[in-house]
Amino acid sequence: MRAWLRARMARWIRRRQGLDSLPVTLLARRLYIVPTRAGIGFGLLLILMLIAGLNYANSSALFLTFVLMGFTLVSMHQCHRNLLGIRVLAATTQPTFARGQGSLTLLIENPATHARYRIGAALDEAEPATIDLSGHARQAIALPLAAPRRGLVRVDRVLLITRLPFGLFRTWTWMHMPIEMLVYPFPHGSLPMPSGGGERPGVRSRTNTGLDEWLGLRPFRDGDSPRQVDWKAYARESPLLVKEYSASAAELRLFDFEALRGLGTEARLEQLSSWVVAAESAGERYELVLPGQRIAANRGREHRHRCLAALALFGLEGLPP
Amino acid sequence: MMPRRSLEWVTTAFAVGVALNMDRVPAWIPVLAFGFVLWRLLASALPVRLPGTLTRSALALLLVAVVLIRFRTLNGLSAGTALLVLMGGIKLLETRAQRDQYIMVGASLFLLLAACLDRQELLRSPLYLLHAWLCCTALGVVAHANSSGSDPRPIGPPSAPIFGNHAAMTLAARTLLYAAPLAVALFLFFPRVPGAFWAVPRSSVARTGLSDTMTPGSITELTTSYDVAFRARFQGAAPPPEERYWRGPVLHEFDGYTWRRGPGGPYRMQPLEYLGPVYRYQVSLEPSSQRWWFSLDTAKAAPNTRVLFTYDYQLIAADPVTEVTTYTAASHTRTRATGELSGLGRIRETALPHGRNPQTLDLARKLRADSRSDSAFVAAALELLRTGGFQYSLTPPALGPDSTDDFLFKTRTGFCGHFASAFVALMRAGGLPARVVTGYLGGEWNPIGQYFIVRQSDAHSWAEVWIEGQGWRRVDPTAVVAPERLRRSILDLLPDAVSAPARFVWSRPWLNGVLERWDALNAWWNDRVVRFSYDDQLRVLERLGFDAPGASQLGWAFASALLVWLSWVAWQLGHRPRRIRPDRLARAYARLCHKLMRAGVERQPSQGPLAYAGTIDRLRPDLAGAVRPLLLRYAELRFGPPRPSGQAADLTGLERDVARLKLAPSTETRRR
Repeated sequence: MRAWLRARMARWIRRRQGLDSLPVTLLARRLYIVPTRAGIGFGLLLILMLIAGLNYANSSALFLTFVLMGFTLVSMHQCHRNLLGIRVLAATTQPTFARGQGSLTLLIENPATHARYRIGAALDEAEPATIDLSGHARQAIALPLAAPRRGLVRVDRVLLITRLPFGLFRTWTWMHMPIEMLVYPFPHGSLPMPSGGGERPGVRSRTNTGLDEWLGLRPFRDGDSPRQVDWKAYARESPLLVKEYSASAAELRLFDFEALRGLGTEARLEQLSSWVVAAESAGERYELVLPGQRIAANRGREHRHRCLAALALFGLEGLPP
Repeated sequence: MMPRRSLEWVTTAFAVGVALNMDRVPAWIPVLAFGFVLWRLLASALPVRLPGTLTRSALALLLVAVVLIRFRTLNGLSAGTALLVLMGGIKLLETRAQRDQYIMVGASLFLLLAACLDRQELLRSPLYLLHAWLCCTALGVVAHANSSGSDPRPIGPPSAPIFGNHAAMTLAARTLLYAAPLAVALFLFFPRVPGAFWAVPRSSVARTGLSDTMTPGSITELTTSYDVAFRARFQGAAPPPEERYWRGPVLHEFDGYTWRRGPGGPYRMQPLEYLGPVYRYQVSLEPSSQRWWFSLDTAKAAPNTRVLFTYDYQLIAADPVTEVTTYTAASHTRTRATGELSGLGRIRETALPHGRNPQTLDLARKLRADSRSDSAFVAAALELLRTGGFQYSLTPPALGPDSTDDFLFKTRTGFCGHFASAFVALMRAGGLPARVVTGYLGGEWNPIGQYFIVRQSDAHSWAEVWIEGQGWRRVDPTAVVAPERLRRSILDLLPDAVSAPARFVWSRPWLNGVLERWDALNAWWNDRVVRFSYDDQLRVLERLGFDAPGASQLGWAFASALLVWLSWVAWQLGHRPRRIRPDRLARAYARLCHKLMRAGVERQPSQGPLAYAGTIDRLRPDLAGAVRPLLLRYAELRFGPPRPSGQAADLTGLERDVARLKLAPSTETRRR
């Protein structure tokens, strides 16, 4: 019964509010407010106090009761105001590996001058994670997002909630937006990494001379190791440059889906995922070949992500272009 | 585990709640509760164990039993408060979850309610407000400290805690201030239901005041007290000082040492003929836990139906005075009885204990024999007191069981009680019906409030003698010995005998002035606030312009006050994002951009100053020469490294140059 009501309510709210697009400003028409359990208890307490005050015709007790009644009503307004006007600037996810836990990061801004206390965000029925925001502050909040399988984890709606300032009322709203988190296949597999694609022409195969060959300087890219940066040049006020050597230790690896015979699709993807991770951390160059898809040899964080994303979405509907 | 800050606030709220009720329950109860508080606090800091469920339940049962035995009931304010204090203490021992903490705050508020129900003095009301503030702050802290989720992961630099104790207190105070207008409106307009829904036995705490017995020393104890007995406001002229006798318990039975009121009986009230002017006045009695109401000597009738007007002209209420009580009465200070004293009454008012005070009896017989009339006998006895070397003192020597003999023949030093007792004994021994009247004499005029304050230190006793043809006549033997007592307060008369604080006040006129104001304020508080009733509500409405207001007008006033307040709060708390005024540099830049926009090159939101300069180079090369340096200077000031000197001058220079800049509109604009 409860679940049914909840579902109906969710559908009604979804219809009422429509789909949101970032940045979202929480306006009054989408904020819902009800007393919490503590608030209901407090109300009962006030009724008892009122009866006692009237019974004894006691002015002090009545005044106390009236002050607390006003307090409750003001706290309702304040609870509403605690969430009103909050802006959600961004909702981003970091790709993660399957069977782990990823996170959804919300960037929340308080555009007003007054502080906001314990703004909570949650997915579904989870206990909300909360932050305090002083006036004009921005803060990010990370919500745990389970990643059971590879592919895309979709979040339909995000709950934004607050019970502050006094815990007597609960103001909340739902945000509906297509949020997706990419889940890489779980890196798992016992097969040895295939060494170099020797049959492929044009691939340099170097013997390990113990001396890296100087290739030249190139602009800094995300993911480059700080050790490779030409700091001396930077000190001479030139832009960040990276010294490139031919990676003598690094071989070219070829990871081919078709080559993994005798395994199921998922097991193959997991094996490939494991190889990609290992090769990247060893600083090697690698190439990924999937049926109908080929990612040319390279290395670096971006390359790793491209490979893992391809593995994650392999064979699933709605592949990104 | 309970957050430490939350625990501190919750325990403080509870402990203060207990402290507010300390004087109404036996001392061991708050001591035990404070013990529980200490235990809980220690357990959160040190490796001290908290009791388990079984221990707690056993403790709770035991304490309920003790309270039940001690109070013989769980109904009633005292027993209820005691129970609340003890059970709250035990609850504190198991307080961990947020729910428990909310319950503790609720219990603290209930303790505050109990304190309000018990005592409503002006001096205490700020304490009550402070405690309400404390509880509300605790509520905020509990809500804040406990609402972090199971996995809170705020990202970014750890900011300073913005909801510290100070912020919590400010927030609660602000919320309460917003609530205050509503509270006042509700106080004025929320319809007070007259009468109680259910009767609860009131507590009777022993307080100072006149009792229905008098021993030679009993009134002396009262005179050291500076407490207020009642306040009296006369409509019209007040009686002269020597007639300000406030009648309290009339004592009829004497055992040689103690005077008692004795049981009632079929005694008739003599019809009276009133002499002299009538005095109308309003009395505000302070709680005394006694049933006596006081009237200026002889009242004409009972002020209301809940008060008995006895045959000896005393006002006795049905219930003890446990809260401030106000009534109006009319009195005469001189009367004459038109009826006869009944035989039964005569026997009662001339009775003396057998075999006690033999010397007094002999003396009375001698005086009686020498007097030709009742009046002469009274005068002879008074003359004896005046000339017999008697002294008026607050610290007389102790008397034996034959108190009047000891007093009249040995010590000859006494206070009003001694004189009245001895005088009445003499009268009775001489066959004249006489009785002791206790009450108050005088009162201190408060010029600010225009009323008399009658204090316990004004307690007095005098005699009434039945004289044929005149009825009961007031005779004050003390006045013969110490005539100045009639006009001056006891504090004035015997400064050494009274308590140190009272003496301190008395010797400093300015302080006395302050206290007079304070007392007037108290009287106003008691009259206008504490006893604000349904009738007063209607009076307020009348003043607001309603004709013949009733319950429905009250409802309207109540509803409209609520509405006005709600809109005020909504307006106050409404979301009104305040614009931050940009700094000087930003304003200069905005002005520059505005000029450029009017010249036809608008800056795109995504463009920084350097990119903008590039756009201008491309679109309006004619302007670039003037504008580019300005944009570069802005970028340097905004994003460049801070320089210790010259920055302010550069900023001023940039502002000046931007202001002077004149840009030709674009050729396209001109063409149009």
